[in-house]
Amino acid sequence: MPGTVPKTGHSAKRKRETTEKRPSKRARSESSDDEDAQAEILLLENEIFESNSKKNYNNIAKLIQILNNDGDDADDSFLAAISLCRVFTKLIAAGELERKQGNSEKDAVVMRWLKERYAQYKEGLLGLLGQEGVGVPVLTLCMKLLKTEGQYLLNGQDFNFPVGFLSEIVQILLDPECDTAVREDFSRKWVEEYDDIRYYTFQTIAETLQDDDIQDSREGILGSALDILTAVESVPESKDELEDFHVEAPKKKNHALYSLTQHKKRAQEAWLAVMKLQMNKEQRKTMLGLITDSIAPWFVKPELLMDFLTDSYNAGGSTSLLALSGVFYLIQEKNLDYPSFYKKLYSLLDSGILHSKHRSRFFRLLDTFLASSHLPAVLVASFIKRLSRLTLNAPPGGIVAVVPWIYNLLKKHPTCTFMIHRETRTAEGKKILEEEGMDDPFDMEEEDPMETNAIESSLWEIALLQSHYHPNVATLAKIISEQFTKQSYNMEDFLDLAYGSLLETELGKDVKKAPVVEYEIPKKIFMKQDAESGFEDTLLVKLWEFK
Amino acid sequence: MPPSQLKRLKASLREQGIVGPQKSKKQKKQNAQNGVNNEKRVQRNVALTGIREQFNPFEVKTSARGPKFDVTSNKTISGRVTKGVKGRPGVTKGLGEENRRKTLLVEMQRRNKVGGILDKRFGENDPSMAPEDKMMERFTQEKLRRHKTSSAFDLEDDEEAGELTHMGQSLSLDGPNIQDDFDDEGLELSDAEDHPSDEERQRKRRRSGDSDDSGSEGSKDEEDRPERKKSKQEVMKELIAKSKMHKYERQAAKDDDEDLREELDKEMPNLHELLRGIAPRPAPAPLAAASGMNPDRAALLSGTDKIKFDKEYDLRLRQMAQDKRSAPTERTKTEDEKMEEEARKLQELEAKRLRRMQGAPESSDEEEEPAAAAEEDEEEDDFGFGSGIKTRPTMAELGIDDEDDFIIDDDLVASGSELEPSDDEDSESENEEDDDEDADFLKGLLTEEEAKRPEFLTGANAPIQETPLPANNGVNGDLAYTFKCPESHEELLDVMKKVDILDFPLAVQRIRALYHPKLKSENKAKLGHFAVSLVDHISYLANQPKQSPFSILETIIRHIHSLAKTYPAEIANAFRRHLEEIHNSRALAPTPGDLVLLTAVGSIFPTSDHFHQVVTPAILTMARYTGQKIPQELSDYAIGAYLSILCLQYQRLSKRYIPELVSFIQNTLCVLAPTKPAKISGNFPYHEPKTNIRIVGGTKATRKLSLSDCISTDRSEAQTEALKIAILDTTVQILDAAADTWTGKPAFAEVFEPTLKTLQHLGTKNNRSKLHADVQAKITKVSQKLERLLKHAHLACRPLELHHHKPLAIKTSIPKFEDSYNPDKHYDPDRERAEASKLKAEHKRERKGAMRELRKDANFIARESLREKKERDAAYEKKYKRLVAEIQGEEGREAKEYEREKEWRKKGKK
Repeated sequence: MPGTVPKTGHSAKRKRETTEKRPSKRARSESSDDEDAQAEILLLENEIFESNSKKNYNNIAKLIQILNNDGDDADDSFLAAISLCRVFTKLIAAGELERKQGNSEKDAVVMRWLKERYAQYKEGLLGLLGQEGVGVPVLTLCMKLLKTEGQYLLNGQDFNFPVGFLSEIVQILLDPECDTAVREDFSRKWVEEYDDIRYYTFQTIAETLQDDDIQDSREGILGSALDILTAVESVPESKDELEDFHVEAPKKKNHALYSLTQHKKRAQEAWLAVMKLQMNKEQRKTMLGLITDSIAPWFVKPELLMDFLTDSYNAGGSTSLLALSGVFYLIQEKNLDYPSFYKKLYSLLDSGILHSKHRSRFFRLLDTFLASSHLPAVLVASFIKRLSRLTLNAPPGGIVAVVPWIYNLLKKHPTCTFMIHRETRTAEGKKILEEEGMDDPFDMEEEDPMETNAIESSLWEIALLQSHYHPNVATLAKIISEQFTKQSYNMEDFLDLAYGSLLETELGKDVKKAPVVEYEIPKKIFMKQDAESGFEDTLLVKLWEFK
Repeated sequence: MPPSQLKRLKASLREQGIVGPQKSKKQKKQNAQNGVNNEKRVQRNVALTGIREQFNPFEVKTSARGPKFDVTSNKTISGRVTKGVKGRPGVTKGLGEENRRKTLLVEMQRRNKVGGILDKRFGENDPSMAPEDKMMERFTQEKLRRHKTSSAFDLEDDEEAGELTHMGQSLSLDGPNIQDDFDDEGLELSDAEDHPSDEERQRKRRRSGDSDDSGSEGSKDEEDRPERKKSKQEVMKELIAKSKMHKYERQAAKDDDEDLREELDKEMPNLHELLRGIAPRPAPAPLAAASGMNPDRAALLSGTDKIKFDKEYDLRLRQMAQDKRSAPTERTKTEDEKMEEEARKLQELEAKRLRRMQGAPESSDEEEEPAAAAEEDEEEDDFGFGSGIKTRPTMAELGIDDEDDFIIDDDLVASGSELEPSDDEDSESENEEDDDEDADFLKGLLTEEEAKRPEFLTGANAPIQETPLPANNGVNGDLAYTFKCPESHEELLDVMKKVDILDFPLAVQRIRALYHPKLKSENKAKLGHFAVSLVDHISYLANQPKQSPFSILETIIRHIHSLAKTYPAEIANAFRRHLEEIHNSRALAPTPGDLVLLTAVGSIFPTSDHFHQVVTPAILTMARYTGQKIPQELSDYAIGAYLSILCLQYQRLSKRYIPELVSFIQNTLCVLAPTKPAKISGNFPYHEPKTNIRIVGGTKATRKLSLSDCISTDRSEAQTEALKIAILDTTVQILDAAADTWTGKPAFAEVFEPTLKTLQHLGTKNNRSKLHADVQAKITKVSQKLERLLKHAHLACRPLELHHHKPLAIKTSIPKFEDSYNPDKHYDPDRERAEASKLKAEHKRERKGAMRELRKDANFIARESLREKKERDAAYEKKYKRLVAEIQGEEGREAKEYEREKEWRKKGKK
């Protein structure tokens, strides 16, 4: 049984490889040669068990030689690896690699020899693992052996997970030079599937990253570790879900593998180890993107994320935007006290926010943060005024998101409606206005949202946008000056608009009625008007040269 | 305790007078003689049935108890007792039975039978009708049928319609020789052919029974009529003779009429002349028609022969038709009036444009634009006709009558010029214009020399005779006169291959004349395709590496514009297709062709509309570039500058705000400034290009930008510097124009304060030294202007007062009381639900009723079939018994015979 599964899996792989390689690499005459070598390998394998004695065990050494002989023929060494896998599986299953009571000295020598060969073989396999092409099937072989080891080489204990072997595999995979396909295969097929492998992989990753020896190559390792860790998506929610084991499950029910907290602890350690490393902006952003969905649930103590998140949040720019949701998660779930959160949030409203691709995400969060009706009106007014100021330079998509949001806030904080309707009632006030006019009391430079004087200001910006060039935006901006009869606008309808989608909707409509054509045909379009015609040159003609 | 049943019965019998004290024999006899008995019997029967009913507890159905809650029912309040008779099951049952007998039983009996005779005689199965009524009804029916079918003027039909006859004689009473037999005593004598019908005879007999006199007279009658019986043949002969005489009489009367008419006709010509003397119009025609005469005959009578008459008639008809058409209405108007009208028209158009600019829903009287469902569609578009008559001299003031003239003046044939400004909507009508008008039109379209050529007179569709080409034609003198009408851009390129680019407008002009829609109906579609291909062509021309002269492009655009008046949808779609292509393939890298195309959109379509199918996507495309493009090269800035100018030109009337434009201008100024500003003022995303493009200085002169600057190429150091200065210069001027456009807008200060700071930065010492003096001057000028405008804005700034709305009424929550509440009724506030439940209840009731009916039907059928079976059985039994009896009788007789015989033999033996 143990031998069959990898064989079929492998043969499918092999077929592809041979079809790929044969026409390009080798001449046809060599293919017969190749088959000879493969036949020889099979022969060697068969001989080992044929005679039912141990005299042919030397064939193992030969096979290992073929395996390690990588320069010559990758196919052969790979075939040898399969053969050896079968051989060792049988041997381990037969208990040949274990010390048995009543064994003779001679047997012990053989056993020791076999063990050495086995170690040699594993070394060879691990060498192949990181290579492109063969890596994935070799990984399957490794996991096969891992299973066999875990099943039979118990060393007298109830349960013995071959941690050493797995950590060797993981370390190879963490190597930045390792083929990404293998890494992906490992994380997707094994780590994600099997609880025990995930457990020990986390453990290994944490250990490896904390190890000081690999200081120099940490950057790369971080990337590969992230690759593996981010692939793990499903977080077990209860003990009952821990039931997929690759290696035979431990019999004791109180083993660490059955404990959800232990699992979580391992994951938490691994993630913390990753977070402690220096990372570049992109990696940080990837992690921030995942934090609420797939990282935070692993944490037994999510507070530990705090440092990472506050660091990211303070970094500014789009990193802050992404960290926002993580910080919010902590505030909401773990009662994190983030000093001057709103001040920080206010500072996020910079010139780029309405142009950012994270705009809709930010607005969803902003909507949540300012949802409370207990916030001071001054603060809310600052947010409203600042965003409306920003719309003066924003694309239509941004404006469309801001206007209904402002509406909702005004509806929620009626005190702020002074920003759209403020009557000067006193005669002196009117006189002063008449004589001196006024400036916008709002201070755009002020960083503290409580001090901006926004509540004294008016939303002239939105009034300006009522004559926006896009008809729909202009119509939307008019809601501010209509009666506030609607309870609230659903923000989701307005968040995901962009030039592309706007243009598509415009151009997607059929022209049902004949469009109106300019009544007057202008005499000149590119050329200067005749002096005596009495028409003024168009702006284009004035500012542009047409030759 | 109420009295017993028996006592009550006795009491009621006595009350009704059925039982009473016995009457004496004398009384009885008297009663019998007076017929009182009969009456009494009837009365008695009625009374008895009443009593029977009263005492039968099963005859009426009452509800066992009253309503559950008396108080809830308003019926008790109004005094009506709800407990009472609910129905009369016996009666309804009987009625149902009766109905079934009439319908179901008949059907049952007719089942599995085919054919049969239906007695549809009126009143045949109605025993309640007296025979007289029956006859009466039949008579009216007959009369009605006659009346409907026959026409009153049918000469062939002898009988006068609607009259009942007998033996060819009218039965009506008002005829001259026919009298009612009731009126005249002696009628029987005179009326020889009268065969009284059975009823009449009966009636007569009755009458004769009534009075002896009439009876004796009747008998006398019989005696006095010896030849009463005529043979059938004789009768028929008489009939035919009579009808022939009638016919002849009618013919004679008709002839008389004809004679009279002819006489009148003879006087006709005189009348004609008389009339013509007064009015030249051929008015007599209707007169003649009125007199019911046909014109042929009139012609015949007046002595002219037919052909001649026809000709004359046709001639006059045509004269009349033409008279009407050529009624001169416009001639009478003076120049002043015309100008006034023109001005009014322009004002109207301006008003419409304003409405569309504000996005007001269009007025319903404009039928050309059907109301669309979408909100934007409702917004109407308009001619982007100057911000007004006030700011610009009107056409009339310029001495230009209408655009047609000015276009022809301009030698641009053009122009949907067949369209008078007034008949934009009804282009149909002009299709029917006359040939000579067409000739006029062509004269206007073409040069004199061209107009003489046969091609243009007949159009390209007619066979063309070869005519020598004149020498001076086109730029190279070899421009053809006829072209195939290109229907796609490929075809256009093919056709125009040999045409010099400078001749292109002339060629377009000729094609438009050759395939003018008036010349042939297919031309309309052809020219439409041609217009679309021209749209393709302008972007194609502008994209050519060798720049074609802009005057040519301009002319083509103007051609498209004038074609767009006839083919608005086609051309709009062509532009939209181009915009879509830009959107899909090169949104952030427009080609010069795209720029020219966008310019064309701005001049062909009204850009001030709130929503326009072409302009809105176009400006969105431009704003997208200025907003999203992160410029890296100088050419990107040049394109941005061009689009910014175009954006502002689009908004020259409606003055709408374009956020992207401000960002782009500021970014350009910041990036080009010789030194980077210490602090970027403004809220736009600042993009520093990868390569440094700051102005180094050292240029001598400024120049304007041109389209060639929009293409990214390698430029020399000096050229690059010149270009930078040019871009900066243009951008400052754009800023100037933008400030002009948006002065007076609410947030003017907020928009332009940052730009002023940027300008001031450009004016600092470090930067000044590197800029050209002209540019410096411009910057100073613009910043001063901005300062002034900002000051003004500061003065004009007021707090917003947007909500001067009427306060909304608070929603009331007082429960609604029903004045006349009826607990039996459902008061469902949800109208739909109430209706649904009503319908449901009805359905349930109907269902129940139908089921009950079906059940009863089944019972009835079973009963009937049982009855039939019983009848059959009984008949069979009867027959069987009869046969048995017969046989037994026979047998018995035989047996007796035998016995007798035996006896007899015995006796004989003895």
